[in-house]
Amino acid sequence: MSDSETQAADAELGLSNPSGKSLEHENVEVGEPKMRARDVDVFYGDKKAIDSVSIDIHTEFVTAFIGPSGCGKSTFLRALNRMNDTIPSAKVTGCIELDGEDIYASGMDVVQLRARVGMVFQKPNPFPKSIYENIAYGPKIHGLVESKTDLDEIVEKSLRRAGLWEEVKDRLEDSGTALSGGQQQRLCIARAIAVEPEVILMDEPCSALDPIATAKIEELIDELRGRYGIVIVTHSMQQAARVSQRTAFFHLGNMVEYGHTSDIFTNPREKRTQDYITGRYG
Amino acid sequence: MSASTLLLVVLGLGLAGWLVARSRAAMFRRAASDNRIASLPNYHGWYAALWIAVPALLFALVWASISGSLVMQSVLADPAAADLPPFGLQRETILSQAQAVASGAAQTVTNPAANALVEPFRRASNFYGIIGIVVTLLLAGTGAAFAFLRLKPDFRARNRVEKAVLGTLLVASLVAILTTVGIIASLVFETIRFFGMVSPIDFLTGTHWAPNPMTDDVNPDPARYGAVPLFWGTFFIGVVIAMIVAIPLGMMSAIYLNQYAAPRVRTWLKPALEILAGVPTVVYGYFAALTIAPAIRDIAMTLGVENPSSESALAAGLVMGVMIIPFVSSMADDSIAAVPQAMKDGSLALGATQNETIKKVLVPAALPGIVAGIMLAISRAIGETMIVVMAASATARLSANPLEAMTTVTYQIVANLTGEASTDSAATLAAFALGFVLFLVTLALNVVALRVVKRFREAYE
Repeated sequence: MSDSETQAADAELGLSNPSGKSLEHENVEVGEPKMRARDVDVFYGDKKAIDSVSIDIHTEFVTAFIGPSGCGKSTFLRALNRMNDTIPSAKVTGCIELDGEDIYASGMDVVQLRARVGMVFQKPNPFPKSIYENIAYGPKIHGLVESKTDLDEIVEKSLRRAGLWEEVKDRLEDSGTALSGGQQQRLCIARAIAVEPEVILMDEPCSALDPIATAKIEELIDELRGRYGIVIVTHSMQQAARVSQRTAFFHLGNMVEYGHTSDIFTNPREKRTQDYITGRYG
Repeated sequence: MSASTLLLVVLGLGLAGWLVARSRAAMFRRAASDNRIASLPNYHGWYAALWIAVPALLFALVWASISGSLVMQSVLADPAAADLPPFGLQRETILSQAQAVASGAAQTVTNPAANALVEPFRRASNFYGIIGIVVTLLLAGTGAAFAFLRLKPDFRARNRVEKAVLGTLLVASLVAILTTVGIIASLVFETIRFFGMVSPIDFLTGTHWAPNPMTDDVNPDPARYGAVPLFWGTFFIGVVIAMIVAIPLGMMSAIYLNQYAAPRVRTWLKPALEILAGVPTVVYGYFAALTIAPAIRDIAMTLGVENPSSESALAAGLVMGVMIIPFVSSMADDSIAAVPQAMKDGSLALGATQNETIKKVLVPAALPGIVAGIMLAISRAIGETMIVVMAASATARLSANPLEAMTTVTYQIVANLTGEASTDSAATLAAFALGFVLFLVTLALNVVALRVVKRFREAYE
């Protein structure tokens, strides 16, 4: 889906922002969002890392979070599948919904949540197991497979979708850590895909990779769009411009602006956004 | 002048040299055009002090160790020594009595033969004492002269002093290494002597262990020196029973402390666990002998075992296992903590539970470190002496029944070394051979474990 099409499609939909402050451009809404965050605050101890962020995530688009280091974009991303739970001092308030269900409600099983909202990390983190076992790990623990044949099928399908199958099909028993950095990261994406998530969160997935490996990952993200909701945190504005259709700009724990990627980059409303994308700071 | 006075004098000279050299350097500094000299005055002071004190003290030390034999030589060369018995206890007594009177440690001699030797002793020790003092002081003076001649504004005293400090550090570290080399050398030497009496094949493959210190002096019966039951006892107590206790408990406590315990609980529990490692092994020993062993015997009796031993392998092994828990758990804890958080996050982000993450990702990733920890624990367990001396028995027995009495290598080393046999007997020398075997095994375990740990560390850095 090209940007102009989506723009036309969302043109008639209005904007609803409970805080009343207009952070979003008026033309970004399309249908029911996959995830919806409202007035989300994240604290580390007493320190407020995220201040009242509201945003919708759609399966149809790749959403990019950009902003200077320490602005809270990764923190907010980790709030979306409750990975912040692993940090004892972190506390999340506000409301984050997945298909209308509050993910911080007491009835929500965090294990199920993370199976539906997968995550790819900054540094490739394959398990020190074989390539096959890396992919098979998720399906096995979730009991998605009955037989070895099913598992083989899932492994092949996931690796194909991650564009890694041709490179590794003859050495599935090799250790995942023996692959190159770019291959490792695609392995991690394949691993996330293998549990059939609905949303994939990517935390600066290319920051440890060289430009060629980065190009492959970006291509892959483009292919996965539509099938999975994708949120990507990136330091590189070029990358955000290349892969995303929606961009949110974060600064000092606030979401400053959210809109079509093309609008954010060519026609930002906020001075802070403009300063950042023109390289004035950050 | 006694040795301690001499020491004080040399140190006093050193202090004086320090003060003088320092003030001299300060003078250089005032005279220098830009108020700078190559090294700070303190370093000049230390330079002089080291040159004065170190060679002099080294000489004094060497002299103190050789002057005794020089004195003895000159006394024996004296005509009065011609009447001495050629060797034996009496000769030693006479000489030591004469020496005691000469040095003023005793008033009179009980053996009249010693009287004639008092005067030669006194003369010789005075003579060599004066030589020692004079040479020491001369060396101090020479050192001072040498150092002071070299003090100049552009003299790099700091570099010299730092070199001296470096040398001291090197020597300090060599002491430990040389001691180890010495220990190995003495072990090897005695072991070779033992293998001259009993062939290594008999020793390593024989299954009957009954050294007899009284009769084995000259021609030991090799059939009595089969060490297999000792190796088996050591293996059974230290590896099988102790590890059945230590590995599961150590692993579980490491996982709990590392992954589940709240920080507050952890700050209390971890030191408490480490106290276990600080309990003296002799305390474990009597706990095993007085509490655990009788309890096991009673339980065995109620279960219908006939005539259970009160010195069972089980008691020693169980207590040893408890003692080893901190080693296993702290190594496992470290290795699990060394697995990058990213690995854990990767698993959690796939929707794995904490339990699945630990079982399937953390422990497998930490396995090399855990295995290394277990190897170190084993090497510690088989070298453990006090517990088995108190709780195991002297009976060498090849048995897989943990309720029976068994003996270990370390127990037999203690028993044979502290026994009544002379140091040349096969029974005593056997202790060295046992020690040598034990040393080789623990050394191999330690080397392998350290290599494993090192490779594991590299993998994550």
